[in-house]
Amino acid sequence: MEEGRAERRRRTEAPSHTQGGPRRAGVMTDVHRRFLQLLMTHGVLEEWDVRRLQKHCYRVHDRTAAVEELEDFINNINSVLESLYIEIKKGATEDDGRPVYALVNLATTSVSKMASDFAENELDLFRKALELIIDSETGFASSTNILNLVDQLKGKKMRKKEAEQVLQKFVQNKWLIEKEGEFTLHSRAILEMEQYIRETYPDAVKICNICHSLLIQGQSCETCGIRMHLPCVAKYFQSNSEPRCPHCNDYWPHEIPEVFDPEKEREAATSRATKRSLRSRQH
Amino acid sequence: GDMLQKPRSRGRPNSQAERERDWGRGAAEEAPSTSRGAGSSQEARSASSQGSRRAEASPEVGPRSQQQLELKVAELVQFLLIKDQKKIPIKRTDILKHVIGDYKDIFPDLLKLAAERLEYVFGYKLVELEPKSNTYILINTLEPVEEDAEVRGDQGTPTTGLLMIVLGLIFMKGNTIKETEVWDFLRRLGVYPTKKHLVFGDPKKLITEEFVRQRYLEYRRIPHTDPVDYELQWGPRTNLETSKMKVLKFVAKVHNQDPKDWPAQYCEALADEEARARPETSGPAPSS
Repeated sequence: MEEGRAERRRRTEAPSHTQGGPRRAGVMTDVHRRFLQLLMTHGVLEEWDVRRLQKHCYRVHDRTAAVEELEDFINNINSVLESLYIEIKKGATEDDGRPVYALVNLATTSVSKMASDFAENELDLFRKALELIIDSETGFASSTNILNLVDQLKGKKMRKKEAEQVLQKFVQNKWLIEKEGEFTLHSRAILEMEQYIRETYPDAVKICNICHSLLIQGQSCETCGIRMHLPCVAKYFQSNSEPRCPHCNDYWPHEIPEVFDPEKEREAATSRATKRSLRSRQH
Repeated sequence: GDMLQKPRSRGRPNSQAERERDWGRGAAEEAPSTSRGAGSSQEARSASSQGSRRAEASPEVGPRSQQQLELKVAELVQFLLIKDQKKIPIKRTDILKHVIGDYKDIFPDLLKLAAERLEYVFGYKLVELEPKSNTYILINTLEPVEEDAEVRGDQGTPTTGLLMIVLGLIFMKGNTIKETEVWDFLRRLGVYPTKKHLVFGDPKKLITEEFVRQRYLEYRRIPHTDPVDYELQWGPRTNLETSKMKVLKFVAKVHNQDPKDWPAQYCEALADEEARARPETSGPAPSS
């Protein structure tokens, strides 16, 4: 059984070639393939779970091998994915800076995951919500404001009641996050759509002064108006007793959040996993 | 397991690129050359900048560039992945309509390239559901493992359990079973055609509609029956995704017995294994 698997792996590996010139694409093995398959079942995945997934794939296909450093592992896969115009992109949640990963489309094609899951009027509802979110000061759009646009939607007529359910569907599918009746973009949507958003709304879009990526939620300087992600603020002002705006040097008026600590996260997640396995054992 | 066939050495980056270069040259001979040239002067892999990989494959009269072709294959791969997630067989007409468009003339090549990438990168094999059906499904070349369920983002298919039970019933009963017999059995497990189920939702709809639409089952009316009865058999997808031996092993496991404890079915499963091991005459590769 073991031999068969190892043999199979060798056969399906593309021989590494050194043609010189353009950079060599990495090599896919069943470890990488299972990883990709399972990663695709998540719209977006937190780093700790990505590591778990990676370990699982090694366990299934190559128990003896050392688990490659995650960054190298992903870069290897991305070099193969490049010709397919997709990549495993790393980002961070805007509220607390947890690293997250998603498989995103790099080319604007007619084919999109979201388009296949939703009807025309539902997609238009998302677009309306997206515009409100981008235009807002806080990065949040209220349920009421979104629902008021229901008459303007393309496609089949949608009532407010139905629109409420569609919004919940967006939350379930990790396109939107809901907080106290207001909606903002999920990290999944930010990772997948950053390019599209920057091109479609070049005037309205906000950019972080530190990392230069798309900004939906963040803090802003009250004097000069520059904005920063909360995790970017945390990192930039870490152990700085007198935080000042990097642009205009005025006193930074907001509370400085904590830098995301993966160690604390692991402790919390382990206790979560224990609870989860206890629960599943009860069934 | 036994689903894997001997892979031909496809998917090697340089051979793929060579083929694409040939297209560029070939097309240039037919049509007036544009400033892009025949594409043969381009490197096997265009040295891509790390910046924007944005591109749109706009149909052009004349030679198509390396990048346009690459992008078309990428679109096709994504389309097939997304469509297959719903487990509905993918129609050739849909592929042509939604992805291929003006590239219709090189459709077989595009599909072949997409199939190669799907297998090399993702471990999915593109197969035609039935010969000449012009519908396709993706078969997983990787064996699903129990622990996959713990790291998945979707429920996988909780309905798989129910499907396996029905497949088992059908096989053990001689490859065909009456619907009434299925419910007689499932009732004992607390699954009813008329009652909503906590995990399966609407079991009747699942078995007689969903699984049928996904081509796992075939559902046919038995003529001259009163009250009307239907018969269930394995569908074409089942034969591609699993085997009689696998299903027999599942049934045996459920009963905590050995597959050989059912000699008739075991013989049949063995014969099926032998038939599968024989090299295929015309493989399930996409027909042009």
